[in-house]
Amino acid sequence: MNKWKRQLLAGPYLIWIAGFILLPLIMIVYYAFTNADGGFTLEYLAEIANENNRKALLLSVELGVVCTVVCLVLSYPLAMILNGLNIKNQSFIVFVFMLPMWMNFMLRILAWKLLLSKNGVINTALSFFGLPGIQILNTPAAVVFGMVYDFLPFMLLPIYNSMARIRKDWLEAAKDLGANNLVIFFRIIVPLTVSGIISGVVMVFVPSLTSFAISQVLGGGKVLLIGNIIEQDFMQGMQWNAGSGLSFVLMIFVLISMALMNSFDKEGEGTAIW
Amino acid sequence: MVKKCASRLYMALIFAFLYLPIVVLIILSFNRSNTRVNWKGFTLDWYVRCFQNENIMSAFATTLEITFIAAILATIIGTLAALGISAMKKRGKTIFLGATNIPLLNADIVTGISMMLLFVRFTHLGFVTVLIAHVTFNIPYVILNILPKLKQANRCTYEAALDLGASPLYAFYKVTWPEIRPGVFSGFLMAVTMSLDDFSITYFTKGAGINTLSTMLYTELRKGIKPELYALSTILFFTVLLLLIAANLNPDKITAPVSKRTVYLKRAACTAILASLVLGSLAIFADGSRFSSDGPSITVLNYGKYLDEDALREFEEESGIKVNYEEYEDPEEMYTKYKAGSIDYDVICTSDYIIEKLIQEDEVLEISYDDMPNYQNLNPDIIDMTASFDPKHRYTVPYFYGTLGILYNTELVRPEDVESWDCLWNGSYADDMIMIGSVRDAFAPALITLGYSLNDTDETHLREALDILKAQSAQVSAYYVDETCDEMIAENAAIAVCYSGEAGEAMAENDHLAYSVPKEGSNLWIDSWFIPKTCQNQEGAQKFLDFLCRDDISMANFEYVYYASPNLSVAENQDAELKENEAVNPSEEVLRRCEVYRALNDEKTVLYNSLWQELIGHSS
Repeated sequence: MNKWKRQLLAGPYLIWIAGFILLPLIMIVYYAFTNADGGFTLEYLAEIANENNRKALLLSVELGVVCTVVCLVLSYPLAMILNGLNIKNQSFIVFVFMLPMWMNFMLRILAWKLLLSKNGVINTALSFFGLPGIQILNTPAAVVFGMVYDFLPFMLLPIYNSMARIRKDWLEAAKDLGANNLVIFFRIIVPLTVSGIISGVVMVFVPSLTSFAISQVLGGGKVLLIGNIIEQDFMQGMQWNAGSGLSFVLMIFVLISMALMNSFDKEGEGTAIW
Repeated sequence: MVKKCASRLYMALIFAFLYLPIVVLIILSFNRSNTRVNWKGFTLDWYVRCFQNENIMSAFATTLEITFIAAILATIIGTLAALGISAMKKRGKTIFLGATNIPLLNADIVTGISMMLLFVRFTHLGFVTVLIAHVTFNIPYVILNILPKLKQANRCTYEAALDLGASPLYAFYKVTWPEIRPGVFSGFLMAVTMSLDDFSITYFTKGAGINTLSTMLYTELRKGIKPELYALSTILFFTVLLLLIAANLNPDKITAPVSKRTVYLKRAACTAILASLVLGSLAIFADGSRFSSDGPSITVLNYGKYLDEDALREFEEESGIKVNYEEYEDPEEMYTKYKAGSIDYDVICTSDYIIEKLIQEDEVLEISYDDMPNYQNLNPDIIDMTASFDPKHRYTVPYFYGTLGILYNTELVRPEDVESWDCLWNGSYADDMIMIGSVRDAFAPALITLGYSLNDTDETHLREALDILKAQSAQVSAYYVDETCDEMIAENAAIAVCYSGEAGEAMAENDHLAYSVPKEGSNLWIDSWFIPKTCQNQEGAQKFLDFLCRDDISMANFEYVYYASPNLSVAENQDAELKENEAVNPSEEVLRRCEVYRALNDEKTVLYNSLWQELIGHSS
């Protein structure tokens, strides 16, 4: 009886789910499967095979994967180093590495634009030392820079958290039993941080795959990702059905990659990053 | 020892990667020069301007309002939901958790668009829609932070409390609440963090005049970088830093064995609360007008950087009408925004051919010029030129006119080179060229070079033009619209295709720049105001238009944007040098070889759009 009453507390949330999570998704599906006159069509789903869109999707996947791998490669050693610091100032140092995350997302991109532009800070410094300048603003490389800078904390945090949960005596036990550092790393540390790695990968891959603002600002309008196409379909092209079709495909794509990754994450801790 | 050094070095490198950009922003915020990197002496001006900038301050206030209202609502709904879910059987739990995962796993852009579709269908976009969207993506973080705590909690103690005669509420407060409190707290904190930083979802669900810091910055970044933004970054950074240090100097005395994570969370929570107090009071202080705005208002849609903001304030003060001001970059973007019907605009400024299209679609209201005493200040010759899109002259008030041409750096480019559009295609300025990033303006030079009219809509002709543009794209360093001016001032490119006024503004800042309208001809455009059918306050809209025609206001706007103004007194009162400046006031001879864009039908608009995507896709 009491238990049943308590379930009612979830009522407001149930209404919220229906109204603001499920209904909007139904709207996307509706637009994706109908044409401007309201008739059923599969034409807009097939648009993903169109050359422009296919190219943009491939480029997005490519940049997303590069960004995720770079974030992982940078974060993992850092998380190990941070975890190995003496306890006293550890939380402070961790916070120092998180602090840039509290700056606004757009301001972080702005900073990179300043650094990378042709007469920007990096090139001015390089020419001061007589070195040749670098021209990467308005290329996919600049977009990856911006993405890594923006999303690095999302990789670092879950890995660090899962590492902090490894008890020191386990490592000592392994050492006592004759394991060398390499064995400890691959047989103990990596398996115990898999859930952290997976949630980090999810937290970085999805936003980098679907971003449109970073590519707009750092790509100089020359880097067209799938997110940019969808944004243009909605905000400039007045092609809501086509945009919904692409969004729907993107949604399915993301869900499939999630399902694949989650099949590695048996403990189901993936989503709770803090 | 080596290992220790290596790890220190690695930390230092990452640290540099994270902080170098921030240090650059901080240093530049004190730089007197408003171009990028040259140090011209110390100043605090940008800080003063940052606080005076209504755009920044109101975006700041909106961000805090949305963030905190959304986080609080999400925490309440989420906590209740978590309590309910934990009492459910397996099946109910699975369904709820599945739904909870949707906003977490879905891409932001998809969530944003899906909500926009919903809101546009059933209501109008505004402050509330952004708030609902934020609550929606916040709730899952709250629930997922509380559920593990509830799992650990011992149900028996709660039931024991009931058996001992406690009311359910009392038992909850005394038994359950202490167990879930850290979860509620960290959930709230995550909600705050996510809301503060969100861009995509806000971008798609916001209404006219509503901007959070992220969306405001996105618009500003596309217009070019203002040093006020460096000041803003510095202020934000130091606020967070100081609060962090404060929280660390005064750590809670830990009695029970608590995990490091909890300590970290507690500190973060202190930081967030302090930050909210400080920033909140700042915001209210900066933006007191927000709480007393029930009077008449008009919603104005205009190009970016196209109206002196002081003039807007003056209008608000004189007329008592509040202006919700929204900007866009590309005429097609404006058309879509208007047609989406999600916002009721009262008065809009846009390009000739878009107005022609809207008049054809019967979307425009007639203007009663008799109620606008200042209308006679406009040059009748210019009004005659509007006949191409408003033949009987019933619907429009011309605002600015100008040409499309080439802005070039005289140190790097010979003037005879830019007398023809050929310089764009012959490879002489590879990687040193900015192409215009709006669809028709990019195609116009290509069509003209091929000997077609810029109004040609034959698909094979357009495809020929596309081929030229595709071949050019490898040499283009960027496709910009409003950013062009800044980039050329900073000498990041040698030539750029841009509008005359953009060129005029850049030339005023950098003496090496000059402007040319190629001999093959170009586009003449007349941007005009019109009152759309969605207008809710026609009287207010007309007052606004009349205000814009006033001599002093026309002058102020002219000095702000540097485009040719149809106002007679503006033309008379500028100095001789400006009068002869081709980038500001096109001569008769130039006007003769220019052509006004004509409206495109829906099919051609879609064609242009897909050709454009093909071009950009080709270049990336």
